[in-house]
Parts: sequence; structure tokens; C-alpha cells
Amino acid sequence: MSTSSEDVLLQVPSVRYKKGDGSLFLMDERLIWMVENRDTVAVSHPYADIKSQKISPEGKAKVQLQVVLHNSVSSTFHFTNKNGLQAQLADRDRVKDMLQTLLPKFKRKVDKELEEKNKLLSENPMLLQLYKDLVITEVVSSEEFWSQHAQQYTQKRKQQPQEIGVSGAFLADIKPQTDGCNGLKYNITPDIIECIFKTYPAVKKKYIENVPAKLSEAQFWTKFFQSHYFHRDRKYAENKDLFTECGKIDDQELKRDIQAGVKDPLVNLTEFEDKTLEEGYGGSIEKPPSNISTVSQAMIKRFNQHSIMVLKATKNKVNDNATDNAQSGSESSKITDEPVNKKQKILEKITYDDLEGEDVTKNGTVHLNLSKVERYLHGPMPDTAAEHINPNEASHIMRNVLQEVRQWQIRPHVPNHNLVPPSAATQALGDLSPGGALMRGFQEQSLAQLVPPHIEQEVRNLYLVLCELLGHFWKCFPPTAVTAEQKLVKMNEALQRFQTVKLKPFEDKLIRELTPLSQHLTKHLNQLLNAAYQKYNNWQKIKSR
Amino acid sequence: MVLSMQKSFERFYLKKMNNIELRTENEPDVSSTDETSLLVIIIDTNPTQKLLRDKASQLTTVVDSVIAFANSHLMQKAQNKLAIMACHSKTSQFVYPGPRKPVDVRQVDGQYEIFLQVEKTVKQNLSLLLASENSTIATESLLAGAIAMALCYIARIQRTKSAGIKLNSRILIVSGSGDSASQYMNYMNVFFTAQKQNVVLDVCTLDQHLSLLQQGCDITNGLYLKVPQVSALLQFLLWVFLPEPPIREKLVLPPPVKVDYRAACFCHRELIDIGYVCSVCLSIFCKFSPICTTCHTVFKIPGPLAVKSKKKKMKL
Ligand SMILES: [Zn+2]
Ligand SMILES: [Zn+2]
Repeated sequence: MSTSSEDVLLQVPSVRYKKGDGSLFLMDERLIWMVENRDTVAVSHPYADIKSQKISPEGKAKVQLQVVLHNSVSSTFHFTNKNGLQAQLADRDRVKDMLQTLLPKFKRKVDKELEEKNKLLSENPMLLQLYKDLVITEVVSSEEFWSQHAQQYTQKRKQQPQEIGVSGAFLADIKPQTDGCNGLKYNITPDIIECIFKTYPAVKKKYIENVPAKLSEAQFWTKFFQSHYFHRDRKYAENKDLFTECGKIDDQELKRDIQAGVKDPLVNLTEFEDKTLEEGYGGSIEKPPSNISTVSQAMIKRFNQHSIMVLKATKNKVNDNATDNAQSGSESSKITDEPVNKKQKILEKITYDDLEGEDVTKNGTVHLNLSKVERYLHGPMPDTAAEHINPNEASHIMRNVLQEVRQWQIRPHVPNHNLVPPSAATQALGDLSPGGALMRGFQEQSLAQLVPPHIEQEVRNLYLVLCELLGHFWKCFPPTAVTAEQKLVKMNEALQRFQTVKLKPFEDKLIRELTPLSQHLTKHLNQLLNAAYQKYNNWQKIKSR
Repeated sequence: MVLSMQKSFERFYLKKMNNIELRTENEPDVSSTDETSLLVIIIDTNPTQKLLRDKASQLTTVVDSVIAFANSHLMQKAQNKLAIMACHSKTSQFVYPGPRKPVDVRQVDGQYEIFLQVEKTVKQNLSLLLASENSTIATESLLAGAIAMALCYIARIQRTKSAGIKLNSRILIVSGSGDSASQYMNYMNVFFTAQKQNVVLDVCTLDQHLSLLQQGCDITNGLYLKVPQVSALLQFLLWVFLPEPPIREKLVLPPPVKVDYRAACFCHRELIDIGYVCSVCLSIFCKFSPICTTCHTVFKIPGPLAVKSKKKKMKL
């Protein structure tokens, strides 16, 4: 199995696997384990199959490394270097570090594609149905399916989902709960951790350095919340803990930011005085006491810094996506457009759309000058000339009607009066019975009711598939390029395969299960197919000429 | 059953509102807290209907059939309510309950008094209405106005009904008149009002196909029926229109026909499948014209390539 063409990147002896001693090898593309003194490969995991690796926590007697595969099978390796625990740890960490660099490369290649396809199929039942009907029945090949029929779905995926920003109050939102004995309990979710990492890259760095090698995750976060770094008035100068360094890094960042200046002319980062305009109505004479405590200064500084970090967290993402060439361009133009920017900013602040004069809209409106407005009032009716009855005729009719009405009063009440003659009643009965003159169109309705749901679903699926194939078939016309012609031939074959593999069996089933409906249900599907075949044959004829 | 109906009738008292008597229950009947059904029937009595021109006695057939049908509706449930309107060329009036004091009736041949009262009131009021008609100028029936009145009546009954009673209302139009283009806007207004008020509109046409009223039926989920023979009108009414809308779903009734909702062009008033719509004033035309004849907007003449496309651009 172990071919000579592979390079051995790392060899670690004294590794136990399932109570067997052997050596662990990290090759170009896979991880293997061989039994001591034998040339057979007992375990072989291509990197592409490995989902993740886990290591035993510090302090455990056994030094172990576990790789978990995508099919959730895992293999555990036990490091048994005779030179003691430190050597075992060193062995393990060498493997771990190398795997850490190797795995991401392979991950991107293979499983990302597969996983994405799987995800696409599970997220889109329509696509899954198409896949079942087209690929599994081999009407079209898998590659064709993904390249042509699933295009709109795969393209949709390519559009990056919108990045979720960081809430400015995310730290304040982590509300600690008292545990009843002088302690505080912080509940943090992966989302919050993500926010912290985004906003404070220095913490992320610390996390990667320390977890899980030196600290467990819980320990790390406990330390984080206990640290002065987390606290709002960061007085960490005399304190020595894990996050002291982070604070220093942040300070340097802040200094750089202040030096670079803030683009927004309405923000004054270095101003520490906390006063509002309203207090003195703009003309504050009262000099505020100059001894602003360092505590509140620190706090304002902390707030400003937090805001900067939050803003940066979202900005970074945008910049990553935007191409770098924009950066150089904006750099040079920055100085020139700054005054314009300032003026624009101030204008933005002092103008209100709804207070703007109406003259703009007044000039913009055009008065409609409509003629023949009555045409809107006619219904969707041809202009039927009102029936004109001459006055003579009208008065004659009136006389007749009045005479008829007069009879109502004269004629005594007849309870047994025949309102509907028997012959008319029979006629009406016939008209209203199924099949009668007034019941036309009823048959088709009942046909729809006769179809059982599972058959209906099948018909639906057949239409889905056929329409997909036909869509591609008709798109080839007129076939001007060679590729279009090739595709046309392919689509024609696919249609024929569809008919034999899907439609024919369904029709056979209908004849067995629903004899009276057998032809009706697939009639239109066949019509669609025949139209396509005819078009194809005509094209072939013209081509051969 | 007759006894109990008689009792409940005695509890009614008459209340004058505008010119129409309206019955309200004096003391709410505890047993009648379930659903009641209000049916408003509009009879077209315009003498210019082809039906009446051919044979004036057909009016008696129609009126007798409608009365028998109305009584069947009252018979279905003691709480069912009824109103009958006459739609004429110049006016529409309620003929039951009428503007005057109700006719005094005694029991005849064991017939339920209210049935006889319906018949007498309707016929009396109708003859008065027809006799008052003295103009010899023929005009079309004001059906849209009659529907509007019926909707107002229904709205008032809905407002004044005692709490806990669910009232299902519907309007049945029995007409032999033709379609009317001049009432188009009025029709559309009443159709959508009816839809909004959950009032079902049924149409029973005796002579011509009424495409506008058919749209109204479609909009309000009512039934549309063109009766093939007026002599069997009562049977068609009882068969098709007597069951209440929720029950109709369970019956085998004439299937709804696909309603033609096409628009007519402003230039020739012909129904068109595809047309040109002015992007400024929404006028509809069957042919492209560079100047809209309604709002006088000037359009760019489509270039040789764009001739096939239906889009037009406004010239600014
Ligand atoms: Zn036209
Ligand atoms: Zn226009």
C-alpha cells in the first residue's frame, strides 16, 4: 500500500493504536500508522477524510490524539515515548501542529464541494427531486446536472451571505448571574465568543495560544472575565495576568488610531470633558472643575476604544472583500476631499428632508391634462347600442304589463296553482343532473378528485423534471454554435431516456391502478414531448440537407 | 313548528326607519343564538326586458316563482330573514318589507300567515310601482343602484342585530335585462363592497348572458346561472340558489365557468388579450400610437429593433 512516491513529512515512533505498538507517519496526503517492525499499513486516513483532531487535556495520564473522520468514525493514537511525559507531549504536539497546517488545505478541496452539494440538496426539496429523477435514473449525468440544471441554486450560494456586524453593547449584554455564594456566573454563547474575537483580535490570539494546550476553554473565559482587562476602568499596570499584554496591544492600537485621526470631523476622540450643550444653552461660562478624575477619563477612553474596536471589526470584513487597489487610490485623494467631506457631514446634520421647501416638488409636478375621461368609465364591454324601443311600442308593453298585474288582484288566491309544468320540470332536472346541459365541465372537475394524492405527487414530479429538461432543450434553438448543437443532441437523448425510464413505467402503473384515467393524466406530458421530438426531427432534416 | 313561528312573530314589532319597516326583536330569543340567514332578492321589473316584451304574463311566472322561492327560504329556519326589492328603470324599491303598514292577513287553507303576507305585500307593492310608471322612454334597469341599496340594508341589519347572532347575508338578482356598460364603475364599486362585507352575490339571468354580473359572482364567491327556460324558473331557483353558500360546496351544482376578465381598449371598446397601456394615465390601447389620446403624452417611436417589444418609453 505505501507507495514510494509519497513523501514522509513526519515520523513518530512509539505510538500505540488499539493496544498495538507502532509508528505514526504523516505523509503528503494521508496519515498512516504501521505496526512495529512490519511493513503493512494498519491505519490510513487521507487528510481529506479527516474532519477534526482532538487531543487529551493536560494533566491526563495518557497522552492521546484523536482524529475524527467525516463519517464520524474516529481513531485514537496513544503516545508512549519511553523518555517520559514531556517527550510524549512533544511528540503529540509535533503531530498536532503539522496536522493543523495540513488539514485545512485538504478540507477546502474535497469535502467542501461535496458538503455544499449535500447541503444544497437538503435545503432545496425541488432540486433533490430533480436530482432523484434525473441523476439516479441516469437520465443526465451527475456533472451535467450540477453544471446546468442546478445552476441557479449553486449561483445563489456563491453570493456571500451578508456579514453580521458586532453590536456595540455586546459586552454589556452578557449579564452575569449571581450563583448565590459571592460569585458571578457568565453565560456566553458561541456568538458572543465570535463577537469578542472579532472586536479584540488580541484576545483571539491569546485563546489560540493557550486553549486547549495550557487551559481549558472554561478556564480561559473565567480568567478573561476576572481580568482587569475586561473591566471598564482597566487599571492593569500593576497587575500581571494573562491579558495584561492584550491591554498593551490595545493601547498601542489606540495611539495609532488617534495619530491617524478620525475621518469624521464631528468626533473628538481626545476630548475628555463630558458636558452637553444644553446646560448653558450654548454659552457655558461656568468653567468645569479641571480635576476630572482619572477614573472617568479612563472610562471615557475605554468607551471610545471599545467603539473603535467594534467599528473596526466590521470594517475589516469589508476591506477584505473590497480589492486592495482601492486602498492606494483612496490614500492619495484623502487629503483633497477632506474639506468637502466635512462640509457635507455638517450639511447632513443640519438639513431635514421634511423641512425642505416645497418649491422643488412644485416645479417637479406636471399636471395631467386628460381628455375623454369617460373612457375610463366604460366597462370591458363592447359598445352595445342601447335597444331603442319607440314610444308606441313602449306604451303597448306597459299596458300589457299593467293588465297582467291587475289580474293579481282580481284572480282569487289559488293554492294548488301549478307554477312549474311537469314537462319543464323534467327538462330542468335533466339540465341540472351530471351530464346535463348546465353541468358541462363538471366531468373534468371530478377527474381531479379521482386522482389519489400519491399519483398527483408523481405527476407533479414528472412535470417538474420534464419542464426542466424541456427548458434546456428549447433554449438550444436556434442552434448556431457547435456547442449548442451538441447540447441539443444531448438534451434530445435525455428526453428519450426520460420517456423510457420515468414516463413509460408511470403510464404502465396507471393502467394497472387507475384504468379510466390512464390516458388523461399523461396526455399533456406526451404532447410536450412530441412537440420537442418534432422540432428536433425537423432540425435534423434541415441540417442533413 | 308553525305554532312556535307564530309566537316569535308576535314578538316582532315594527320600527320605522327611513321609509322601510325594519323588524327588530323586542326581547332576544334565547333559543335563536345560532346562525341566521338574510336573503335579499332583487327582481328586475323593467318593462323593456325582452322577456316581458314577448309575453307580459311571464312577469307573473317570475314573481310567483320568486315568492315561492322566498317562502322556501323562510321555511328553512324560523330565524331566516327576507327582503325583496324591485329594480326599475328609474328607481329601485323595497317591496318586502314594504314602506306601508303590513297587510293584515287571515289564515287561508291552513297556509302559514307569513307566506301569504309575503305574497300579498310583494304583489301589492309591485303593482303600485308599475302603475306609477308613466314615462314611455325606455331606459335600462338600474341594477347597480339596487345592489347598493341591498348592501345598505344588509349593513343596517348587521348593525342592529342582537349580539350573539351570526348573520349570513346574500343577494340574489333575477333579471332579464342585458349587460350595461354605463353602470360599469357602479357595478365594480358594489361588487368589491359586497366582497368586503362578506355578502355573496348570486345572479340568475333569464335572458342574456351578463358578463359584468358574472364577474360580481366570481368576486363574491356567488353562483351565476343563465336559466335555459323561464317556465321552470322555480325549480332552478330551489335547486341552485336555495342552499346556503357553505352547503353549496357539498352539492353537485353547475360548475363555475371561467370568467372573462379581459379589458376593452379605449379606442374601439373591443376586448383585447394584449394591448398597450399608457405609462402616465393607464389608458389601454389595442395599437401603438405615438401620442396618448387621453393625456397627450408623446412617446418615442420604437426603433426598428424594438418594434416587436411591447415596452414603450416616455419621452421626457
Ligand atoms: Zn382599439
Ligand atoms: Zn396617457
